[in-house]
Amino acid sequence: MKAWNDLASLVAILRHRRRRLAEVDRELEADLALEADEQQESGVPPAEARDAARRAFGNATLVAEDVRAVWTIAWIDAVGRDVRYAARLLRRNPGFALVAVLTLALGIGANTAMFTAVDALMLRPLPFERSDQLVRLYATRNGVADPSLNGPSPLDARDYAQASRSFQTLVVYDAWRKNVRFGETGAEPEQTRVGLVPAAYFEMLRIQPLFGRLFTDEENQEGRHYVAAISARVWQTRFAGDRQVLGRTLRINDEPYTIVAVMPDVIPEWMESTRVGRVEIWTPFAFSNVWSETARVMHGFSALARLKPGVTAEQAQADLSAIAARLAAEHQADRGIGVRVERLADTRVGTLRPMLWLLTAAVGLILLIACVNLANLLLARAATRQRELALRAALGAGRGGLVRQLLIETLLLSSLGAAVGLAVARLGLTAVMTEHPADLPQLNAIVVDWRVLTFTAAVSLVTSLLFGLTPALSATRLDLVDVLKQGGRSGTPGPSGRRLRNALIVAEIAMALMLLVGASLMVQSLVALQHQNLGIRQDHVLKGHLFLPPVRYSDPAAITRFCDAFAARVRALPGVIDATITTAYPPANGWTQMLEIPGRPVSRIEDIPTAQFGVADAHFLATMGIPLVRGRNFEDTDAATSRPVAIVSAEFMRRYFPSTDPIGQQIHIGPPPFLQMAPGVNTSDSSDATIVGVAGDFRNAGLAVRPEPHVTVLYAQHPLVNYGFKDIVVRSASEPHALTPAIAGQLHQLDPELPFAEVQTIDEVVAQQTGGPRLTTILLTLFAAGGFALAIIGIYGVVSCLVAQRKVELAVRMAVGASHAAVLGLVLRQSLSVAAVGAVLGLFGAAAAQRLMSGLLFGISPIDPATFTGAALFLLTVAAAATLIPALRATRIDPARTLCQD
Amino acid sequence: MPPDAARTGLLQGTLDMLILRTLLFGPAHGHQIAKHIQQTSDDVLRVEHGSLYPALHRMERKGWLVSSWQVAKERNRELKYYRLTPAGRAQLVREESKWKQMAGAVARVMRPKPGGLS
Repeated sequence: MKAWNDLASLVAILRHRRRRLAEVDRELEADLALEADEQQESGVPPAEARDAARRAFGNATLVAEDVRAVWTIAWIDAVGRDVRYAARLLRRNPGFALVAVLTLALGIGANTAMFTAVDALMLRPLPFERSDQLVRLYATRNGVADPSLNGPSPLDARDYAQASRSFQTLVVYDAWRKNVRFGETGAEPEQTRVGLVPAAYFEMLRIQPLFGRLFTDEENQEGRHYVAAISARVWQTRFAGDRQVLGRTLRINDEPYTIVAVMPDVIPEWMESTRVGRVEIWTPFAFSNVWSETARVMHGFSALARLKPGVTAEQAQADLSAIAARLAAEHQADRGIGVRVERLADTRVGTLRPMLWLLTAAVGLILLIACVNLANLLLARAATRQRELALRAALGAGRGGLVRQLLIETLLLSSLGAAVGLAVARLGLTAVMTEHPADLPQLNAIVVDWRVLTFTAAVSLVTSLLFGLTPALSATRLDLVDVLKQGGRSGTPGPSGRRLRNALIVAEIAMALMLLVGASLMVQSLVALQHQNLGIRQDHVLKGHLFLPPVRYSDPAAITRFCDAFAARVRALPGVIDATITTAYPPANGWTQMLEIPGRPVSRIEDIPTAQFGVADAHFLATMGIPLVRGRNFEDTDAATSRPVAIVSAEFMRRYFPSTDPIGQQIHIGPPPFLQMAPGVNTSDSSDATIVGVAGDFRNAGLAVRPEPHVTVLYAQHPLVNYGFKDIVVRSASEPHALTPAIAGQLHQLDPELPFAEVQTIDEVVAQQTGGPRLTTILLTLFAAGGFALAIIGIYGVVSCLVAQRKVELAVRMAVGASHAAVLGLVLRQSLSVAAVGAVLGLFGAAAAQRLMSGLLFGISPIDPATFTGAALFLLTVAAAATLIPALRATRIDPARTLCQD
Repeated sequence: MPPDAARTGLLQGTLDMLILRTLLFGPAHGHQIAKHIQQTSDDVLRVEHGSLYPALHRMERKGWLVSSWQVAKERNRELKYYRLTPAGRAQLVREESKWKQMAGAVARVMRPKPGGLS
């Protein structure tokens, strides 16, 4: 109640405080003048009237003070006084203030930046109504996640939706790269990501069109699906925000689509299942072939669902698992296939989760180091301020008042630190956002707002308590008489004070070493990752994507003719060493193919041999620089009409022909006959191939993953897998990007409607895929450098202080014959033994933290002995150097002068 | 802020009541209030300025009074006038009944009914 009254009157007071305080004098003066008037009227001479009035009035100054006191609250005034006093102290000690504020700015800034990222990636609610009800469904194979499956097949998803009681809606959708021409005429076609979605997709996300209408159910049928919804971004940039856009036509893969809606830009980029770019256009989910029983095996689609109110993701998981088990028993195609339900919000952080934990731990350590440093600084200062505090205590200040004053000093410091830290965080985030790799679209969501500011304020408050409380409590535990008796000499800290400060140094060194170990492990891992042998000649290789739309290239023979002609034209360009049309290039392929291999009859779906699969032309190995290990390469005589041939990888031979020669063996491209398959990947004889050669392995399953078995065939010989999507890979003599216009020119001479898209060198693809690890490494290295610098500054400061305080003792030692070397050794030994204890603890800490690291490391153990030893030695060496400076100062003590001073 | 009960010679709270009562007749400035109390009490109650002004401000802070600067009618001077608020009126009723209770109690002690202390 009292607190509430205080608060209420505080508000009343603050509202008019300034005016009221000014008015007090004016009111008293006016009433005084009135009194004087009346005195005069009653006959007192004018000269005396004023004095008489003043006498009648009493002590006006005292009255004014009493009145002003009404308008103040005691503790607020006291705090204000403390703040002013603290500010004055800081101004008088700018060196200390600067070091303290910068240290705090580093600690608080790093934590603010990290919180901003964690908030954007894990905590902030998604931009959808009741987003807690949204889940994503992923298919699993034999109980484990399989990225190549993505969601359940549409048929499975339909059965889930019918049999389960957990969902309001369950939607299957997809996103494809398509050639889109935005204007009616004249405009160049561009490769654009097109979402293939039913209207329920938007309804489930509760997104309304800005204007226009959602797709009808009828439009989800193939043939009636020529309607499109465009994003507000496309509407603004391509149609200048024209309200008349509805009813206009887009050409997608050379077919006309009518625009029926403009959708708001609320679906974040990370929600798209594939990596390249945002979806800007949606057309209905209209596939004629996915709803028949033969398509139950067709995976690769995405699935989203909205839970019924009150149903948890765990309940939905249990519900669906039971249904999936039943489907697996009923359908051969579903053998081993399960389903995993994940909250949509949890999918946002994706592969960044371990990185976030690691970096969060790192910034936590930095803040702790900063706190330890400041606690040490304050302890050192408290030693010299003992007399001041004792004097104040002697004059009647209670211990509570002294602690409050000291804490307000630290709070002022940490507030300043927080302000600078916020600026540091903003700068850092801006740098990361402009540099951030393209495959981390989640980072686009990062903003600094009130949530971040609240966090920063809370951190700085906790920080000031953390580093301020111990020094404040220990400084105010005073024996007044003792301190005052010591006269001008600053007190030597007792053994307990020294133990406390040694413990702080131990903690600081340990934490710095943990950061150092983590950073050097990450750096080595990144180097290993980036210098991986991809299995090809990686330099001067450019790749680009093309898509031949089925409207004009419905016949595989037409696709072959076009590809052959295009490759021949590119090979003829000056500066081109070789070129190949292919669907596979390192470091990841993404086309997994079921095979039949002689001598390996299988009856269960989970036993079917699989391999990474690519269709190419005869220049594949030469352009890539993949060595032929055995047998022969593709030849020009391997034509559409001749016997189909295949080249397999060394890993393929190891896995599937461990004891026999694969050359001359015939494999079947496709699943065994017992498995009913979707049309397009059928079991006709024409997809048999004879192995004629074995080539070296190349990275086909990801940068950090061992190469999987690989099969390459010629598209000319396999019309059933000769689709319109192809890549061209070009090996050049000079800077590869310089060739892009010439290659695109050749493409457009053959077909002006085809965009030449996703042009990158293989080096750039690798750089893009190592973006996450690189960012983690850069940040962790920065954090480690910061933490390391703080720790070294800390140990330097403490040793300096120690030397200063032990000056007399050292002088006595030297006076009685200790040599310079002995004094030097004494100081070094003491501080280095403390540092060594810290280093040992730090190594244990780093070993304990390996769980945070193990998932992020490649090619190096999280407890790599060389790294641990090296980091510890480096830290101790630098610590020794930092100690040497004050230690040398100790040897220059002049015993005669020092001892005469006191 | 304890009111200077000793300086005024008034019971605590009584000064507040007197001021509120005075202001019931209409707005007044500090000097006027002191004069009015003094005159009405036949010079028995002298209100010290050192008690009056803090009391006025305290009551304003509590919301019983509001103040405004006005030019006094009979003189060419701007003075600070205090006026009663509804909350102040309610407070006056409370203070008065409390005071009556107190006065009655004192009176009963000073002039006990027959047979009361036999």
